[in-house]
Amino acid sequence: MPAPGAGALSPAAPRDLETKVQAIAAHYPDRRSLTLPALRFAQEEHGWLPPEAIREVADVLDLTPAYCEAVASFYDMFHLEPVGRHMVEICTNLSCALVGAQRVVDAFEAAFGVRAGETTDDGEITFRAVECLGGCGYAPVVAVDERYRHHVKPEDAAAIVEEIRGAA
Amino acid sequence: MSTPELVTITVDGIELRVPKGTGLVEAALAAGVEIPVFCYEPRLGPPVGACRMCLCEVSPGPPKPQAACTLTAADGMEVKTAATSAMAAEAQDATLEFILVNHPLDCPVCDKGGECPLQDLTFRWGPGNTRMTFPKRTFEKPIPISPTIALDRERCILCYRCTRFSEAVAEDGQLVARDRGAHSIIATFEDEPYRAPFSGNVIELCPVGALTSTQYRFEARPWEIQNVPSVCGLCPVGCNISATTREGKVKRILSRNHPEIDEGWLCDKGRFSFSALYAGDRVRDPLRRTGKRRFEEVSWDDALDEAERLLRHGPVLLALSGSESVEQAEALSRLVREGLGSDAVVLPERISPALDAFRAPLSTIRDADLVVVVGDDPVEERAPVVGLWLKAARRGGAEVVTVGAAGTVPCSPGAAAETVTGKLGRKVEAAEHAVLIWSGPGGAGGARIAELAGKLGAAAAFYLPATANGRAVTEAWHAAGEGEPSRPEKIGLLLISGDEAANDPAVRPLAENADAVLAIAQFADPLRGLADLILPATSYLERDGTMVNLEGRAQRLRRAVIPPAPDELAWVAKLAERFGVAIDPHARAVPTAERAELPPRGEPAAPEAVPDSPVPTAKGGPLRLVRYRALFSGPEVERVEELRFQRPEPELELSAHDAEIRHVSTGDQVVVRSNGTSVTLRARVNRSLVDGAVRAAEEHVRELDQAVEVSTA
Amino acid sequence: MGLLSALLAGSEDRDLTKLDEYRAIGGYQALEQARAMTSDALIEEMSAANLRGRGGAGFPIGRKASLIARDSPKPKYVVVNADESEPGAFKDRQVIDTVPHRLIEGCLIAAHAIESKDVFIYIRGEYLAEYETLAAAVAEAENAGLFGDVRVVVHRGAGAYICGEETALLDSLEGRRGQPRPRPPFPPVQGLYNAPTQVNNVCTIATLPIVISMGAAEFAKVGAETAPGTAIFSISGNVVKPGNYELELGTPMRELIYDHAGGVADGRKLKAVIPGGSSVPALSPDQIDVPLDYDSLAELKTFFGAASLIVVDDRCCMVQLALRSTQFYMHESCGKCTPCREGTRWMVQILEKIERGDGELSDLELLKSINGRILGKVLCALGEFAVYPVASYLDKWGDEFVAHVQQGRCPFDGQSSLEGIVAPSDQHHGPVGTEPVRSVPAGAAT
Repeated sequence: MPAPGAGALSPAAPRDLETKVQAIAAHYPDRRSLTLPALRFAQEEHGWLPPEAIREVADVLDLTPAYCEAVASFYDMFHLEPVGRHMVEICTNLSCALVGAQRVVDAFEAAFGVRAGETTDDGEITFRAVECLGGCGYAPVVAVDERYRHHVKPEDAAAIVEEIRGAA
Repeated sequence: MSTPELVTITVDGIELRVPKGTGLVEAALAAGVEIPVFCYEPRLGPPVGACRMCLCEVSPGPPKPQAACTLTAADGMEVKTAATSAMAAEAQDATLEFILVNHPLDCPVCDKGGECPLQDLTFRWGPGNTRMTFPKRTFEKPIPISPTIALDRERCILCYRCTRFSEAVAEDGQLVARDRGAHSIIATFEDEPYRAPFSGNVIELCPVGALTSTQYRFEARPWEIQNVPSVCGLCPVGCNISATTREGKVKRILSRNHPEIDEGWLCDKGRFSFSALYAGDRVRDPLRRTGKRRFEEVSWDDALDEAERLLRHGPVLLALSGSESVEQAEALSRLVREGLGSDAVVLPERISPALDAFRAPLSTIRDADLVVVVGDDPVEERAPVVGLWLKAARRGGAEVVTVGAAGTVPCSPGAAAETVTGKLGRKVEAAEHAVLIWSGPGGAGGARIAELAGKLGAAAAFYLPATANGRAVTEAWHAAGEGEPSRPEKIGLLLISGDEAANDPAVRPLAENADAVLAIAQFADPLRGLADLILPATSYLERDGTMVNLEGRAQRLRRAVIPPAPDELAWVAKLAERFGVAIDPHARAVPTAERAELPPRGEPAAPEAVPDSPVPTAKGGPLRLVRYRALFSGPEVERVEELRFQRPEPELELSAHDAEIRHVSTGDQVVVRSNGTSVTLRARVNRSLVDGAVRAAEEHVRELDQAVEVSTA
Repeated sequence: MGLLSALLAGSEDRDLTKLDEYRAIGGYQALEQARAMTSDALIEEMSAANLRGRGGAGFPIGRKASLIARDSPKPKYVVVNADESEPGAFKDRQVIDTVPHRLIEGCLIAAHAIESKDVFIYIRGEYLAEYETLAAAVAEAENAGLFGDVRVVVHRGAGAYICGEETALLDSLEGRRGQPRPRPPFPPVQGLYNAPTQVNNVCTIATLPIVISMGAAEFAKVGAETAPGTAIFSISGNVVKPGNYELELGTPMRELIYDHAGGVADGRKLKAVIPGGSSVPALSPDQIDVPLDYDSLAELKTFFGAASLIVVDDRCCMVQLALRSTQFYMHESCGKCTPCREGTRWMVQILEKIERGDGELSDLELLKSINGRILGKVLCALGEFAVYPVASYLDKWGDEFVAHVQQGRCPFDGQSSLEGIVAPSDQHHGPVGTEPVRSVPAGAAT
């Protein structure tokens, strides 16, 4: 019996995901190694990883959707629930916390009107605390759409919010 | 083979010599010492060292407890378990404490209670009280993993046995661990049901009561039950089982590890379809037809009188099911052949004795370096456990070549055997341990695959028959007389034995031409409007007897529960007596070992003139329809609500090319036409299907011929 | 002893991300030298230099290379661990940012040593800019024909601290959930795709060109006797000038904190130093004259770890520090082995209770007992990383824990530098133990 979602029997996956995966397939001796890259491509496409994105990845890689979701759910950077178009992530680990990360959190919460871990009502921005980003010497660190901002002070929050809103 | 190097180790001071590389858990067992485990299960692949239950003091080694399950015996190794080492005892106590931190103590209402490793190990090694004062983790419960499996997440100790089974044994990749750390849970994708032929094994693998059978849930306590060792009678593999009974009823089926046959795995059909025993249309008393589709119960005296009358009316055509026990087939064959002098018979498929020269245990597939599967039927649909052996072979590095309509070597339907020549043939010849398997119709009952095996020097050959015991049933008929099977021009009485024959599309038309029909069956509904008299049949779970599996291994059926009607063989003997045939209802030519041995190989057969399997040509339609009998079909499965979700989807598989030129994609409704009839099915593009062939489960395409046309609905 | 630019040499005044610039300072000459050597000779040179792994365990790279089964019929792999995720560590990031070619050159030298044709650099997913820099440098070097028949692939992680553990990294690189494997078998025998694999940290690999160009004998003279060479030390927390400082191994910790990093910020008093990243036992102010090398730190029952110092001043509540640290390790526990998965969560529950002021003295004993029950029982070191710092806080600042219990509240009275800090593990699940009953899994792992 064919397993549901088994690649051989599923509809052709969207071509661009397949193309992107194919472009780096030769890097690895085993296609399974493409799981993280493929999930990242799918997330870039969808903004997050809805079930259909997981299915697409499974289909391209000849894995099961359950497997791909199991992998995705292990890693913090994959979003299995909708997130805003922009991500604002603040490190609240020791080095950042010791130099006032919580006050920066408070400032962003006030500026966005959401609690850490939430998305603004308009669905534009997700603000969340994250574990150490490796910017301890330049603390507090905030990543805006994966680009680090160093030495962020509470009073910087408003400008960063405006910048994101402006770009949006 | 070289003898393995022996090393000397001590376990709790007991010195023993074991082959180098023996796992420490097994080595300790050899010394009579138990090293407790949860995640360790050698059948699931390499050890993972996850649960930390097996921590022991091992020297030489670092000065901390070692996971014994991940270590193998080396010369001079000294192992101290909790029995002799304070370090090990403390470690095991710690592991149990951590496991119990969030494990509910709901043992009184847990199905696993009484047969639970966690309960037992806590009793032996665990802490006496709890230091956990916070509320334990809770989840909504139970989560239906599927209609047959329930998950109580708070009981899960995350040993990952179930997910390892799904990934590395069944390779269905459907039951997985989600999220990370303390938030990890066992789940399926989007809470879809775990739909795979071997899903039920995770229930048995679960060392706690997290995964339970919905059929068995709250049905019995371990001290109320009896486990009867028997074999499954639903397919030609003959997996070894234990039937758990309580108060005369079967409550569950468990696997019973026969390392050469099933390695302790059991398919969901074998595991869950027992409840058909209690189906609403189960025949409990003799039934006589009173109207077009109506029956009335009659007394046994009347029934046997009526049966005698019908038999004397003659001429009798006997239709035997391939799932009868040897004894039942023998008794009925003698009744008809000796008592009535009739050689008219419909037999299950004939299996070639030429196979005997290539006989081997199924486990030999795992050791193959090359396996060639010939035929159009998916192996798991015919003989599910063979599919697991194929996967084990592949994992072990074997090349598995499938030759068929959807094979890795694609060929037109029915033309598979011709393809095992040339390059592939040479590959088989070059292989050290090649195994050939025939999976599908044709093939002259295994003669073709035996012939190929002989020609190419394969190590073993298997033929996957369509029925559980067809070969032995056919042989039992032959043994009961001299003549060859015949067909009468006029059928006075069609005597159908068994539900399989009663549902056989080749048998049912015969009933229309018969003056009368006497059926021995478990289920009445399919016989409405067809049978004039039904006598109650017994299930394989209700009878003693012999079954011979596809390896040629005779195995013993043990009666797990009393059938709802008198023993079948007993009343057949009584009936036979009226025709002067003496049948001993208690004669048992059966093996008694709980794990039956495989008989030695037969002599190589003289070259048999093997008729070419007829390759029907497609007439009137561009596409050839390949049909297979789905594993989850048949009278038992149809009567088990919990297995409904496993039955084949009303789908038609098409090759990518055939789909494209018809503008069909997966999910579209398509009309499949032949000879003026048509059915509507959902299309599914199968990239490995050969062009020109379409494939569907038999039950969805009964009315269709082999040549079909397909168009969008 | 003191500042010595080797790993980062040249990056102060040049853009060494450009191949031309790197070549202008002699880049890729060590590779040529190495390629002129036999594989055995190269491994011998690495061993003679006694270059010890900078990832945490300090295992000599030469010995690791000699364990590679070079006669295996399988391919051999070089895997560079650039999954720098230890709180306090940001040195690999600077190497990639500023001297990517030195890392690439090191990769090619390592590949030559073990006769590998495949190098994978596993870089943590969050390091996007660094990934771009590195990928560009790899492309440039490859186009310049420096790779020969070797392939270098930069592979991005996706946010999981545990993937810094080498076997978890291998599983992740294979496309799985990054969970540690039991060892043995060790990666040199059975690593990536079950083939012999050399796994090393960024700084270790990037030091190889230096070892080759200096020669093992000269290299061994630099730094500490038992640990030659330089290391980049990340220093962060309450210091005036946090950042990366490349120092000879054996430099006194005091010199780093006061001379280079400018001492404790805001005129506060030094309270604690966590010397190797947040996972190691902390030192008290009276211990900071220790030389920064593996063995000297081990004598103080702590670890060199990731050469990453977190300096803590007297405003910090040690219970909060313990809690926030443990929350991190609980969040990052992979969930595979029981003591780590269950133990870190239980630790967090107890620490939350103490910080709330609801703790009892018996909770401190319980915490110590749980610590002891995790240590030495876990599959990989992560569970121990949760325990080491907490055990040291209990040991050295135990009176603060007792004060929480006796006063029934945090004695810092809301003035601790970590007051109210939100942990990612709280965002979706709420405080530990108060998670709502879940029918369907919550979202991402955070």
